[in-house]
Amino acid sequence: MTRDVDPLPYTDTKPVGAADFYFATNATFRFILKRFGMKGLRRYWADIGMTYYRPVTERWQRGGMTGVANYWRAFFAAEPGAEVEIRETADAVTLDVRTCPAIKHLRDNHREIVPCFCQHCYFVSEAIAEPAGLTVRVRGGNGACVQRFIKREAGEESQDIRHILEAA
Amino acid sequence: MIGCYDFCGHYEWTFEWFRQQGGEPLVREYWDEAIHRDSQIHARELIVGGGIAGMKTYWAHTLDHEAAGFAITHTDNVIRIDMHACPSKGFLIRNGLAQYRDYCDHCVGWIGPMMKDAGFVIDHEHNHCGQCWWEMRSQDDSTPPSAPGGLSGREDVRLRADWAATDATDVYQRATDPDDKTTLVRK
Repeated sequence: MTRDVDPLPYTDTKPVGAADFYFATNATFRFILKRFGMKGLRRYWADIGMTYYRPVTERWQRGGMTGVANYWRAFFAAEPGAEVEIRETADAVTLDVRTCPAIKHLRDNHREIVPCFCQHCYFVSEAIAEPAGLTVRVRGGNGACVQRFIKREAGEESQDIRHILEAA
Repeated sequence: MIGCYDFCGHYEWTFEWFRQQGGEPLVREYWDEAIHRDSQIHARELIVGGGIAGMKTYWAHTLDHEAAGFAITHTDNVIRIDMHACPSKGFLIRNGLAQYRDYCDHCVGWIGPMMKDAGFVIDHEHNHCGQCWWEMRSQDDSTPPSAPGGLSGREDVRLRADWAATDATDVYQRATDPDDKTTLVRK
């Protein structure tokens, strides 16, 4: 398989990541929230989605829903402790996240989780999806959620942030 | 979702995001406040409370977990780490990721303030190719860093042919501050 068609744009020599890195992601959100407020944290999420994850957007543009599904299959296979069912149709990809690996690891290690932690899945994924003509809706959170990636042209109502639970 | 598999990629990207938001002082604050005092609080508890024994416990677990190529040598007075294949710098090199001017500074960026609180100083050198060495001693111990091979024998990263071929290294001497470094040009 060539690098160009690898579903993940950045690959490592080890099959799964080190879960303790979730500590740093949680701490990074807390630091930004304290320095820049919620507006600044959402800007960080949008910026990382549009720039660092730009190669993901390109995969979704090229591969459509299959590209989206392949990305998330490879993504969650590399996240330790994730339990996720991924369903693909012509019009949508649905992630049924039964065990969020980040929330689980933070909880197992008694870390104080930033309450808005789960919102990052919406804001980062939306920044990745928009240039590919897609959009995402997230419902649930705090350890389990459902994420639907759909075509923007479908005209669904915009994300209601109240549908994303606070983490604890 | 922001995952842990490619953590070092978005971590490095985040350094540059902070630099653009608030300059280098904000990057230093991030390493100290978010990484040292929040993310790595388990390391701080082990090392500030346990000194060299705590360092051995922390790094043996962490570097093994990250699949690093490394060696740890210690006595009652010093702990030395020889990093032959840094997993995070290696990830960045393999994936062509370089947003921030010197990713390697982040290690002293969070470990330095922790060592200061623990009463230790750091002798350290990195070559920006995924290889480095560290010696941590009490701030009251004026012993200079070991000569190549003197403490860790054949495990000493400075004995590698590719270390000797490096154009330049960054050197820290009895440091706890990420900016307290000099660049040693070899060629």
